[in-house]
Amino acid sequence: MDATSVLAEINGNIATVGYGLAAIGPAIGVGIVVGKTIESVARQPELAGRLQVLMYLGIAFTEALAFIGIATYFIFTK
Amino acid sequence: MSNSQPQPSSVPILKRTLVFGFLYAAAIAVIGGGVAWLSVGAIGALSVVIGAVMAAVFLGITALSILIAIKYDIVAFFAIVLGAWLLKFVVFLILAVALRDQPWINTTSLFLALIAGVIGSLVVDVVVVMKTRMPYISDPNG
Repeated sequence: MDATSVLAEINGNIATVGYGLAAIGPAIGVGIVVGKTIESVARQPELAGRLQVLMYLGIAFTEALAFIGIATYFIFTK
Repeated sequence: MSNSQPQPSSVPILKRTLVFGFLYAAAIAVIGGGVAWLSVGAIGALSVVIGAVMAAVFLGITALSILIAIKYDIVAFFAIVLGAWLLKFVVFLILAVALRDQPWINTTSLFLALIAGVIGSLVVDVVVVMKTRMPYISDPNG
């Protein structure tokens, strides 16, 4: 029996697994950003405006990671 | 106290990031489109324009969703912001898959323009936030 036939057979595109891996980082990032913003607004509601802007920056940086992760797949698989 | 709720200090900043983000995307479309036209042809230029528009729209949705959600209470605020975020990625994935195999699209130009648009608009956002005056304590009602 050949060594490869012992392993479980996997069908489909490996890029799907790649997208799953690429989704983990932004998911954790956005979770932390939003969670900390909720915590901060609950502590100091008068700072809500300022915190919303910081949250926006945090989300923008995190989502950039996800966009680039998805886009690179389409560049490299021609 | 009057019934009219004072607008939170984040509103003018978010509006500015939207405006400057769209201006930056227009610059990418014009300059990148010109470069792509010379190197790949009309298909490349069209792809760069589509990539720049996608970057501007998809990054603009975050700021827009915060601007819309600001009027509601905190639960609705986060539901709208995070819901828009999730929906945006689903739409982006569908668009990416749909556009990839079109004969009138140059995939490399499109996604390079997209990445340039995403990274550049982050820089624009940071510069706008740094340059805009923001009162330290601004929202009396929270």
